[in-house]
Amino acid sequence: MSVFSQSFSPCGRFLAAGNNYGEIAVFSLSAALSPDATDMSQKPILTFTAHEGPVFMLLSTDTHLLSAGNGEISAWSWVELTKRVGMNMHGHEFVYSWNNDNSLIVGGGDNNIHIMDMETGIFKSVLQGHTDYIHCLALKEREGEILSGGEDGAVRIWDSRTSQAVHCIEVFKYEECTRPQFGKWISCLATDSDWMLCGGGPSLSLWHLRSMSPTSVFPLAGCQRDAMFYQDMILAVGEGPHVSHCLLGGSVKAQIPCTSPSLNTLALNLSSTEHRVMTVAGSSDQIDVFTNFSYRAFSLSF
Amino acid sequence: MSSDTLKKRKAKVIRSDGGTPENKRGRAEGEQSEEVEERRRQGCVHFVTLKKLNRLAHMRLKKGRDQTHEAKQRVDVLHLQLQNLLYEVMHLQKEIGKCLEFKSQHEEIELVSVDEFLKEAPAEISRPHLTKEDPHQLTLARLDWELEQRKRLAEQYKSSLCSKEKILKGIELKKEYLGSLQPGLQAIMQASLPVQEYLSMPFEHVQKQAEVARHLPPPLYVLFVQANAYGQAFDKNLTVSISGDVDEAKALSRPPEDSQDDESDSDAEEEQQNTKRRRATVGVQLDDKRKEMLKRHPLSLCIDLKCKDGSVLHLFFYYLMNLNILTVKAKVSTSADLSGAISAGELLNSESLLNCLYASDHGQETPNPGNRYQFDKVGITTFADYVSELGHPYNWVQSLGGLQFFGDAPQTEGAQSSLSASHMEATMKLLRGRLQSRLALHKQFSSLEHSIVPVSSECQHLFPAKVVSRLARWTMMSYQEFMELSFVQHVVKAGLMKETDLFFMATVERGTARLQAAVVLNPRYPEITPLFSLSLLWKGERSGRTDDNLRAMESEVNVFKSELQGPRPGLQLLTNQIQRLCMCLDVYLETESQVSDGSEGPREFPREKMCLRTARGPNRLKPFKYNHPQGFFSHR
Repeated sequence: MSVFSQSFSPCGRFLAAGNNYGEIAVFSLSAALSPDATDMSQKPILTFTAHEGPVFMLLSTDTHLLSAGNGEISAWSWVELTKRVGMNMHGHEFVYSWNNDNSLIVGGGDNNIHIMDMETGIFKSVLQGHTDYIHCLALKEREGEILSGGEDGAVRIWDSRTSQAVHCIEVFKYEECTRPQFGKWISCLATDSDWMLCGGGPSLSLWHLRSMSPTSVFPLAGCQRDAMFYQDMILAVGEGPHVSHCLLGGSVKAQIPCTSPSLNTLALNLSSTEHRVMTVAGSSDQIDVFTNFSYRAFSLSF
Repeated sequence: MSSDTLKKRKAKVIRSDGGTPENKRGRAEGEQSEEVEERRRQGCVHFVTLKKLNRLAHMRLKKGRDQTHEAKQRVDVLHLQLQNLLYEVMHLQKEIGKCLEFKSQHEEIELVSVDEFLKEAPAEISRPHLTKEDPHQLTLARLDWELEQRKRLAEQYKSSLCSKEKILKGIELKKEYLGSLQPGLQAIMQASLPVQEYLSMPFEHVQKQAEVARHLPPPLYVLFVQANAYGQAFDKNLTVSISGDVDEAKALSRPPEDSQDDESDSDAEEEQQNTKRRRATVGVQLDDKRKEMLKRHPLSLCIDLKCKDGSVLHLFFYYLMNLNILTVKAKVSTSADLSGAISAGELLNSESLLNCLYASDHGQETPNPGNRYQFDKVGITTFADYVSELGHPYNWVQSLGGLQFFGDAPQTEGAQSSLSASHMEATMKLLRGRLQSRLALHKQFSSLEHSIVPVSSECQHLFPAKVVSRLARWTMMSYQEFMELSFVQHVVKAGLMKETDLFFMATVERGTARLQAAVVLNPRYPEITPLFSLSLLWKGERSGRTDDNLRAMESEVNVFKSELQGPRPGLQLLTNQIQRLCMCLDVYLETESQVSDGSEGPREFPREKMCLRTARGPNRLKPFKYNHPQGFFSHR
C-alpha cells in the first residue's frame, strides 16, 4: 500500500488519507492524541472506497472533502462522509487540484490546468502550456498567480485572471540545481510571497521570484515529493525515510527518521491549536504523526 | 549275752569289790567268807530273776509284735480293697465320659428338619406315635428316611449319566458330519472364482478383506470402511488394501484386559528378574519402555490414489496402540521417470510431501494431548524424533480415522465414523491436488533449470509476444540461506514464511542488469501464492524496500493470483509469475530514462515496449500492466 494524499478536517480533529487502492481512511486525531489512547485509536474510524484508481489528492474546504482519483474528482461532505456529493471530470488519467475561494484549480494528466467554479461545477478556463503531466500546483493569493510544476521539468507561472502564462522556468537548465542522473521533472512546489520552493529531479532549491534565480540549493539526496514553508524553516519529504528540516540559507538542519522507506505527502494541521501535528505518509501503510516536529511520536495505521 | 556281760560286770564289780576288801581281809577273814557266800547266793538269785525278767521281756515284745503284725495285715487288706474300688470307680467314670463324648456319625448328616420330616416321610418310617415321645426313635426314623431318599437320588443320578453319555455320542456324530461338509464347500468356492472375475464382483476378495478387517483396531477400521465407501461411491481410482500380520493382530485382540494384565504381570516378573540378576541399566529399561509405548499395531492400511497421468500416491496408515493416534507415510510412484530437476528434490520427498495439507498441520507433534503425560513417563521429549520411522500424525489422518482430539478437552471415546465421513471427500481432493501440483511443479522445475519458462498456450495472452529478459538460474535455497538475504527481512518480520516452506532463488538477466528474486513456496501451493522478494543489481543495488518501482513489480507478481493462475487447477501460477517478472523487468529497464554518469550516450535498453505514459503519480511509477490484445503497457 502507498498513501498518496492527506487532508485535515476543517475543525482540525480528523485526518483523511487516500491510498493507491482508491480508499480513503478517516482517523480521529483527538482520540489518537488523547492521554488514554490505545492501539485501536491508531486505526481509522472510517474507511471507504472513493475511486477505482489511486487517490492522488485530497483537499478540504470548509464543508467538503475533495478527492481526486483516476479521471474524476469527487466531493464528500465532512458531516456525512461516504455520501458522495460528486463532481466528476472525466477523461483524464489523474488529477491534481488546489483550492482558491470558490474556484478549484485542477492540474490534470492531459497536461493542462483547469479552473473550475465550485458552486456550479463549470470549467471556467484552461491553462495550456505544459508538455507533460502536472505534478504539483501552488498559489500566490495576493497576486492571483498560479504556479505549476510538471513532468516536463518546467515551472510555469500563470495569471489566474487572464489565464495566460507569465513566466516559465526550466529548472533543469540551471546548473546549480540540475541533477541529470535523476531527471528533470518537478514534483513539489511551494510559495511564500516572493519565494518559491521547487524540487524533484533537480535538487530542492529556493528561488527568488522577482529575480527568477535560485538563491539556495539544498543538498538532499533523493528526489523531494512534497515541501512546505513553516515559520522560518523548510520541511521536505521525498525518497528516503526521513523528513528534512532545512534552513533558508541552504543548509539541512535535521533529518528526522520515519517508518516508510519513502514519503509522498506532508501535512501540517494548522487549523487547530490543540492538535497541532505534522503527519507524513508514503510507501507503506503507516502514517507518522509528529507532535513535536523533532521526532516521531507515533504512527497511524491505514 | 547281756546276762554274760552283766555277769562279767558283776564279776568285775565283785572283783573290784573283792579287791578293796582284800586289804581288810586280813583282819576279818573269817567273817567275810560268810558274807561272800551270802552275796553269792543273792547274786545267783538276782541272776535268775534277771533271766526271768529278760525272758518275760522278750516274750512280751514278741506278742506285741505279732499283734501289730496282724493289725497291719488287716489294714492292708482293707486298703487294697479300697484301691480296687477306687480304680474301678475311675474306670467307670472314664467309660461314662467316653460314652458321653461319643459323636455318632449320624449327627454329621444333615437331616431334613423335623417338621419337614414329619410331613414328607411315609408313615412306616416316621411312626409318629413312637417318635413323638421318643427322641431316639425320632432320630432313628429320620435317619431311615434320609437313607431312603439318598438311595433314590443315587439311582436318578445314574440314569441321567447314562442319558448324557448317549447325547454326547450323538453330538460327536453330527460334528463329524459337518466337518466333512467343509472341504466340499471350499471346492465350490474355488470353482466359482473364475465366475466372480468374469462378473467383476470380487466377493471372495471382499470377504477376505472383511475377514482381515475385523482384526483392525477401531480407528483403522473406520478409515477402511469410509475409504471403501468413498471409493465405491465417487472415485474409481481409489483402492484400499490391508497389509500386515493377521496372527499378531488376533493375538492382540484376544481379551484385551487379560493382555493388559499379562503385560503388567510380565512387567512385574521382569522387575523381579531384574532384581535377581544385576539390574539392567536404566537407559536400556527406558529404551524398552519407549519402544513399548511407540509400538504399532501389526496391521496397516494402504490407500492408493491413482491420477489420470498414471502416477500413484501410496498412503500407508499405521495405528500406534498405546498413544491412540494414527500416522501416515506417503510414497509417490510415477509412470514416467522423474529426474533432471535438481531443485525439485524436495518436492516429492515423502517426508514433506503431505506437509500442511490443511493450514499449519505440520505433522511433527502428536495431536493427542494425553500423550504428553505418557511421554513424560518414559522420557520422550518430542515426538518429532520418531516421525521419520513411525510416520506423520497429521490432524487430517486422525479425522479420517474418526479420532478427534480437542485442544484442552479430554479425548472423545472411541472412533466416530461420522467425523471420518465428513472429512473424507475434502481430504482425498486435497491429496490428489497436492500430488498433481507437486508433479506439475516437478516438470516445471526441470524446464526452469534449463532457463526456459514454460508458458502454456492458455496463458500466452498474459504476456507480450517478445520478452527479452530471460531466466538465467533457478536454484533451491535452504531456510538459513534465505534468512541471510538482506532484502527478505520484511517477509520474515511480517511472519509470511515458516521453516516448513520451500525457498528458491530465481535470477533474471538482461544485459548488465540482474534481478534476483527470492521465492517462498508454501507447501499448500497453489492455494497459497508463492511470495517473491526482488533485488536489482544494475548501476547500484536496489530492492523492493528502496525502490518504489521494484515494489510495484513485487505487487504485480505477488498479488494478482486470479490473473496468473491459469486454467483450473491453477498449476501454472509459478511459471506465470516468473514470466510476468521477466516482462516487468523489461519494462523497467526500457523506461529508465536516466543515465547515471551524466553522459548522453545511447541507452543500453532501447524502448521496445509500447507504453502510454512512462510515469504516473508523485512516485512516478512505471506501467507494468500488460493489456491484451492491444499489446501496450499501462498503469493499474
